[in-house]
Amino acid sequence: MALHETFEAIMFDWDGTAVPDRQADASGVRRRIEALSAAGVHVIIVTGTHVGNIDAQLQARPQGRGRLYVCCNRGSEVFAVTDNGPKLVLQHTASPEEDRALDRAAERTVERLRTRGVEANVVSERINRRKIDLIPVPAWADPKKADIALLAAAVTARLASAGIANLAEVVALAADVSRGAGLADPRITSDVKHIEIGLTDKSDSAHWAADWLSRQGIAGGLVLIGGDEFGSIGGVAGSDSLMMVDAFTRAVVVSVGVEPGGSPHRVVRLGNGPKRFIELLDQQLSRRAALRVPNIDLDPAWVIPLPTTRAKERVAEALGALGNGFVGTRGSREEDGRDTGPLFLVNGAYTQDGQLLPGPNWTGLERPGVDRRHTERRLLDLRGGTLVRFGNEGLGERSIRFVSVSSPHALALRAEAPEAHLQPGEPLRPPRDATDFVSEEHGTMFGARTGRAGAEITVAARDRVVTTAGRRVVERLAAWVVAPTGKNRLDDAYDRLAQVEATGFDTLLADHRAAWARRWEDAEVVIEGDPGAELAARFAVFHLLNAAADIGESAVGARGLTGNAYKGHVFWDADVFVLPALAAIRPAAARAMLEYRIRRLPAARAAADAQGLRGARFPWESAGDGRDVTPSSVRGQHNDFIPIATGPHEEHIVADVAWAAAHFAAWTGDTGFLAGAGRELLIDTARYWASRIRTDADGHGHLYGVMGPDEYHEVVDDNAYTNVMARWNLRRGAEFLFRSGDRGTAATWRALADGLVDGWSPQRGLYEQFAGYFELEPLLMSRVAPPPVAADILLGAERVAGSQLIKQADVLMLHHLVPEEVVDGSLESCLAFYGPRTAHGSSLSPAIHASLLARAGEPERALEMFHLAVRLDLDDLTGTTAEGVHLATMGGAWQALAFGFLGVRAEGGMLAVNPYLPDAWCALGLTFRFAGQPIGIRAEHERVTITCQTPLLVRVADRPPASCVPGGTTFPLNAFPTQRSQR
Amino acid sequence: MSIILAALDTSTAARPVMETALRIGQLTGADVQAVHVRVGPRESVDAPEALAALSEVPFKVLEGPVEPALLAAAGAPDVIAVVIGARGTPDGGHPVGHTARHILENTEKPVVVVPPEAVSPRLIQRLLVPLEGTEVSSRTVLERLFPLLVADVELVVIHVFTDTTLPAMLDHPGRDLEILGKEFLTRHFPHSSDIEFRTGSVATRVSEVSHEHDTDLIVLSWSQNPEPERARVIREVLGGSALPVLLLPDSPDSVDDPVKSFSRPEEDLTGMTDGLTR
Repeated sequence: MALHETFEAIMFDWDGTAVPDRQADASGVRRRIEALSAAGVHVIIVTGTHVGNIDAQLQARPQGRGRLYVCCNRGSEVFAVTDNGPKLVLQHTASPEEDRALDRAAERTVERLRTRGVEANVVSERINRRKIDLIPVPAWADPKKADIALLAAAVTARLASAGIANLAEVVALAADVSRGAGLADPRITSDVKHIEIGLTDKSDSAHWAADWLSRQGIAGGLVLIGGDEFGSIGGVAGSDSLMMVDAFTRAVVVSVGVEPGGSPHRVVRLGNGPKRFIELLDQQLSRRAALRVPNIDLDPAWVIPLPTTRAKERVAEALGALGNGFVGTRGSREEDGRDTGPLFLVNGAYTQDGQLLPGPNWTGLERPGVDRRHTERRLLDLRGGTLVRFGNEGLGERSIRFVSVSSPHALALRAEAPEAHLQPGEPLRPPRDATDFVSEEHGTMFGARTGRAGAEITVAARDRVVTTAGRRVVERLAAWVVAPTGKNRLDDAYDRLAQVEATGFDTLLADHRAAWARRWEDAEVVIEGDPGAELAARFAVFHLLNAAADIGESAVGARGLTGNAYKGHVFWDADVFVLPALAAIRPAAARAMLEYRIRRLPAARAAADAQGLRGARFPWESAGDGRDVTPSSVRGQHNDFIPIATGPHEEHIVADVAWAAAHFAAWTGDTGFLAGAGRELLIDTARYWASRIRTDADGHGHLYGVMGPDEYHEVVDDNAYTNVMARWNLRRGAEFLFRSGDRGTAATWRALADGLVDGWSPQRGLYEQFAGYFELEPLLMSRVAPPPVAADILLGAERVAGSQLIKQADVLMLHHLVPEEVVDGSLESCLAFYGPRTAHGSSLSPAIHASLLARAGEPERALEMFHLAVRLDLDDLTGTTAEGVHLATMGGAWQALAFGFLGVRAEGGMLAVNPYLPDAWCALGLTFRFAGQPIGIRAEHERVTITCQTPLLVRVADRPPASCVPGGTTFPLNAFPTQRSQR
Repeated sequence: MSIILAALDTSTAARPVMETALRIGQLTGADVQAVHVRVGPRESVDAPEALAALSEVPFKVLEGPVEPALLAAAGAPDVIAVVIGARGTPDGGHPVGHTARHILENTEKPVVVVPPEAVSPRLIQRLLVPLEGTEVSSRTVLERLFPLLVADVELVVIHVFTDTTLPAMLDHPGRDLEILGKEFLTRHFPHSSDIEFRTGSVATRVSEVSHEHDTDLIVLSWSQNPEPERARVIREVLGGSALPVLLLPDSPDSVDDPVKSFSRPEEDLTGMTDGLTR
């Protein structure tokens, strides 16, 4: 039963729920509330009365992490109660006009009732409301809550004698009168004896609570709501039902009241009044004391069920990987059984031969007798950043783990099961095939390390085991260190662990959830009308946020920290696909990614020098020291060695790095970056191209022997993507040199840029992908197989290389990255030409096509590509997700949402927005940061609303710039999107 | 005692059957028992009897009709596998003759089908194991092959990409196939550390790899359902193989995993071409 869960917050009505009446001794409630606070549980009292009444009776002075709020005066005030007593944090203050309207409404209501023959009085004039006594007779002067049924009968009889059917009719009358009196949104409530006309009601309290809790990362299912009046009485909804706002749809709601008229079906009817409610509080305290495994909010919009089949074991591990940018832990089952690949990785911790060093595994437990297949659920909670496992329901097995976002060195796991099925075992275990794993016991702590000095990961862990009545709980806290300084290299980890333990599991989890809530504030995705895409997009954002640390430098490998594919090497995936997303949803992380490149400029310069060239030549694959770690060959299917041409030839990475730096500066408005640390990224990359270009007798510049993004055609001359990106790079570099006074070099670079061929064919209205491409066999995918398909495997690499089939967006990448560098109107012609030739045999392709198709006014086709991109890992379309999720695809998917469907672009300090939504989407909303401030965009088919904190200049649908004011501005859109600009 | 049942007819195809049975006997540590089903009272059993005698194998004559008699013999508890000729003559019209097909479809025992043109196998040392990448078929091989073997053998594991199993995307074919291979083996055949991927017609690729690696026996699981795709693959392999093929019927209680191994998105891939064979 959902009631037998651990809740993070308890919200309840006071009178009748927590206490029998206002005179009752509330010391028992006080003790429990203070204990709940100490245990970290938030308590929110929702009441119609004022704070003085509650505080005088309750006298609670909580001192723990859990907060106590009193939402009083029927939704008009919120007080935070600490050891210093109540303190007002929010008050809805009626304007003089609203106060006058309230008076008029109350007086006219009483008058109308008198006219009908019901004597009623206005008995109080409280903040934002007026109270009318419907039965002002001594016998019912102060009715007990327990007598509510009798009271209801008396009031009904009184009304009936005047020809009024029930209380609902009085409420309707009051509402009608109130609107006539000038109240736009009157809130009419009733406790049977009275009706109240107000500006607020308990739903306002509930909305406030939901909002506050959501900022702590606590959503519906983690909240227990208690009351005694949920059911309707006399046709009027019970006042406590107002607490059941949409945000609490999944909250567990209990009634301890009499509920003479029944209660809504969602409400668990317990009865027995405050006594039963106290038992519920005790139950929560017991669960906390027994370290029971916390729950998550089972919100289908935020929870990813991981595959449970044996075949998809490792896919599930990658999908369920947790991380905080600094470290990542795969979502392996605790028992580390057959077929699993647990892995703990640290961002940037590479071995000397350039592969991510696996650290000690900290999630292993012994689970004797557990038959896991098909009997359990494993759920990745995107909102809270936790991985939970619900085992065999009959046995009540459960675990939860997280990699702390708020305390980046902390790792935490808690599991519970019947005693016979759970043993802690070794808390730290060697990674698979480890040869350099060392472990030791340090008192009751355990320490382990992998690697050697210079590249070493140390982890310390300690278990806390509690066994009560045959049920065992294992709580494991661990701490990692990657650059030990102590003499004993594990000492740092032990010190860290001591700090982590001082914080404690529950506080770590609460802080972690709150930190995730803050992360999501700048990274929200809402797709109304397509819940599957919305969840998948959130999943993508989740992994993007986990991929990069936000201080120092951050090496973002192709699969992040979710697996060891490609040895964790950093490709252009990081610069062109991941970085633009993070620049918007976590700018500090994007900056750290650029720092990774900046610190490897010396290696890039050395690489250029080794080639007899100048400037900086960034490697296709990069690891710790910035040298090229691209393998030179791979073993083929016939035990032969196939050379890998990307390392020597896929040089566009040089311009990609520069583009990332420029994009970051333009998007974030951090102009100081390009004036300072980022400047050399642009200059030295441009210098490389200046030395790399060969000029022919006609004065045309060429880049011979390169490879573009389309790796089906390995070594070509004048790849349009490479050349145009190099041209862009030279022009941007020249701007900087010109400003710094080196006008001669700037002019040379500009001339080189202008002379560089770019493959544009005015006759065809197309860019030729590389010299000679148009002469290849004009094969279309329609004659081969429906994309996506690995066409090189299907047809053979040689056949594909001789054809016009391409693996992914190549020319079209230019339209995505540098639309100002391509011929106006060429997006449509290039999409029409290259689209049918694209196999989408690269995971990088679908998202970019989604973005461009949306820009070209084809949102329905864009949606197909978008679905492909966001489902790529969830459906394991490549068969390689087992070794890590495809971060570039995820970054591309976010870009498709922002740059494609919303049509967002940075134009100087101005934000351009031009949405194109597919029919199935009712609305698309994103939040992100732009130019240093949080932005929200919500696009519907006929309007777009932009919210900002400080005035923002926007250009909507290519209209003249307009100002967006703080709080939100709505702009109409042309109902016929094809009439809008397609750039 | 374990027995390999060698079903000998009176054609020239009986010789490779006998020889294969002897090798299977060595492979499994079982004794070989030769049988012949006499379909008429006047039929001579001299040839099969002589063949058995030459091989120093006990010989037994069963009374026809052929299929029920062979099935009954195969059903004996100590028979662990049946060796039978694919058909009577190398140029027969069908890859698998009526008798072999009937046995294949109706016995739960492993059956080795020997083509009439099969060259006399040496010691069986290298097995070619084509895996189709479903949990049932892989489990069948794992559960039914290894208990049979007593001799050390080398396994050559292959998977042939077909229209339904071709990866949708490979960012770098060489490196991604390495990942894919590792994952495939973990899912389907942890006994092997190596797998080869091919694309195209399964039968053609099996034959090709068999030749390249000089394998001695092909091992396939099969559903005993003559209709669907897997039966087509079996037919084609049997039709194109010069090697004996060991067919392992799926366990009767096998239920396929609802999640296919490397399935592509639900699309109609009809008409996808086999590029490597063009």
